[in-house]
Amino acid sequence: MLKLDHITKRYGPLTALDDVSLEIAPGEFFGLLGPNGAGKSTLMSLVAGLRAPEAGRITLDGKPVTAADPSTRASLGLVPQSIALYEDLSAEQNLRIFGELYGLRGADLRARIDEALEAVQLADRRRDQVKTFSGGMQRRLNLVAALLHRPKLLLCDEPTVGVDPQSRNAIFDFLEARARDGLTVIYSTHYMEEATRLCSRIGIIDHGKIHALGTLDELLARLPFNDQIGFPATPATAQLAASLRAHGELTTDAATHRFYPSPVFKTSAFYALAEEQHLSARLFVTERPTLEAVFLHLTGRTLRE
Amino acid sequence: MNIILTLVRKDFANFFRDKAAVSLTFLVPVALIYIFGQVFGLARKDSGPTGIRLAVVNQSDNPAAQKLVDALKAEKSFRVLTHHVNPDKSERLLTEEDLRPMIRDRAFRFALIIPKDVIAAKGFGLHLKILSDPRNEIETQTVNGLLQKAIFSNVPQLLGQSLQTGAQKYLGQPRFEQFNGDLAIAVTKTFGGDVEETKQALAGGDFGLSTIGGASEPGQKASSADFFSKVVKIESEQVVGKDVKSPEATRVVGGWAMMFLMFALSHSAAAFFDEKKAGLFQRLLSAPVTRAHLLWSRFIYGVILGLVQLTALFFAGRLMYGIDVLGNFGNLVVICTAAAAACTAFGMLLAAISPTAAAANGLATFLVLTMSATGGAWFPVSFMPEFMQTIARFTLVYWSMEGFSQVLWAGQSFLQILPTVGVLLGITAGVMALAVWRFNRGAIFD
Repeated sequence: MLKLDHITKRYGPLTALDDVSLEIAPGEFFGLLGPNGAGKSTLMSLVAGLRAPEAGRITLDGKPVTAADPSTRASLGLVPQSIALYEDLSAEQNLRIFGELYGLRGADLRARIDEALEAVQLADRRRDQVKTFSGGMQRRLNLVAALLHRPKLLLCDEPTVGVDPQSRNAIFDFLEARARDGLTVIYSTHYMEEATRLCSRIGIIDHGKIHALGTLDELLARLPFNDQIGFPATPATAQLAASLRAHGELTTDAATHRFYPSPVFKTSAFYALAEEQHLSARLFVTERPTLEAVFLHLTGRTLRE
Repeated sequence: MNIILTLVRKDFANFFRDKAAVSLTFLVPVALIYIFGQVFGLARKDSGPTGIRLAVVNQSDNPAAQKLVDALKAEKSFRVLTHHVNPDKSERLLTEEDLRPMIRDRAFRFALIIPKDVIAAKGFGLHLKILSDPRNEIETQTVNGLLQKAIFSNVPQLLGQSLQTGAQKYLGQPRFEQFNGDLAIAVTKTFGGDVEETKQALAGGDFGLSTIGGASEPGQKASSADFFSKVVKIESEQVVGKDVKSPEATRVVGGWAMMFLMFALSHSAAAFFDEKKAGLFQRLLSAPVTRAHLLWSRFIYGVILGLVQLTALFFAGRLMYGIDVLGNFGNLVVICTAAAAACTAFGMLLAAISPTAAAANGLATFLVLTMSATGGAWFPVSFMPEFMQTIARFTLVYWSMEGFSQVLWAGQSFLQILPTVGVLLGITAGVMALAVWRFNRGAIFD
């Protein structure tokens, strides 16, 4: 459906995307996982036809996507990272404007607005100004505004930034339902939990390059270990943490160390080292590896860096 | 105290980070002071209006009348026109018949006619005629004052001649010459001097009346002015705007309307930055919408808003001050549309060349005040130095004011206002071309 063929995009001396190639199949829920500045938004803006690449070609259903030709853009919807709504206007007025830009009119437009507002539980606030909405409500409206014209491809550029857990789940449920109806989605995020929950296939992007591409299992299979080990970051475990650096990757987050062992370092060796330092086995939790571990393994840094 | 100092330091750090605030605080006022100084001619040693076009038709063959024309030519406030240039570039003296059509065609707004009977055939006194298009009250009053000054400075000799003419008629030639001869002897006996020279001076009308005008005491000066105003009959004829119902309000409403229009449209242009900040351009441009759609929709919005605002302001003028808006309404709408288009283009250019909304607002304040001052929205252009008057002709305010005056003051037809409309639309096209060029190279849509 969507094909990116050797795409390169530069901003002055900075290469935002470096020879990126990618194919998205119809009905796929594709996740683009990477930290801030990795090139996710640039990739989205190129697919949306907002910018032109320096090299390469993007096609949607075989037709080139260009900034100059708006015709192919009618088949896609963009949910920008920011709340791209007219906040002094009502929810209904916003949807009407965006619907009309796609050529929707009359009863059809009214029906779609009703349906969209119902879907994101905003029907009772349809005539209220958007600026009176909570952040979560604005995010939900931001999402459905991109779907009013029923696009084949939905581009979601970090659509849950700053959203409370309840609204985030509502957005996930809504997107999953649309995906079940056959909508193709490209979803960029730096939250591995979101990519894990939503995406049937994930691309790991950093410094403008796609480092890995595949399903969650395929990506996890790239790791040289089966389990990662978590333990509290306390003065008692400091010496262990220091000695583990020679045997794999170690990250620290929210007072928790996570150890990703190198291929030659067995789990039994880990526990032997802990015992040597008189640390109880109850301090340690063996976990299924996550996308964070994959990202660290591929790029040498964490998603939060 | 340390806390206060830290907070003060924080405020200064923020202030100096905000380039727009710094420029609004320091650079814009200094630039405005310089420009207004130029506008008001503060750098000049002399002051007052310059180069006001004054047509003079001298129908008299009296040498003193020619001296009056020469005195007007020497007056820096006036650019005296005495000749009409034919289509083949040949010139001829202006006639009274030329004056009224030329005033209506805006070739000049003031004309002085020195008639054949400048010296009254019967009785004692002078007769002059002034034609005017008093579209600007301040300018008109100033011109009247300057004309009176120039005329009264040359009145004594003309009055003397008037006395001589009257005496000659009354006494007959032989007794008149004897009277002058006796008077010359009496004068030279008392004050000294040559009898023959004094006699010739008296025959030329010089009775020393000019010293009346040179009185140093304010009271005496007023008395001499009163005296001259009684003996000099100046006939005034308003050529244009005679039927205007509310002349004072009609004269000023255009200037105010233009200034508020420019502020409104600059503000709406700055809204571009709000849309960019909200990411709305991303959403809009990901739809089947092009940059051209965004720019032209904004332009059309600006023109409609401007037209509605101007019309509302003129109707408010009608309600409050009785300005006759409906008398030439069709042409008023045409001029308002052209003015709104030029102002919108100006606002678009502001948005195109400014890096941020704050910079756009700062630049708008600077340009709106400058253009209002130089374009004649606040006071007559003729009060400025001549080079500033030339600059004024490059501002949309000047041409909009011209258009409003043509429609509301002079009641001109569509064909007559067409050149002004053309200039405004030309400004619109030029400024919009520049704005579109800048938008396509700028980052506002990225």
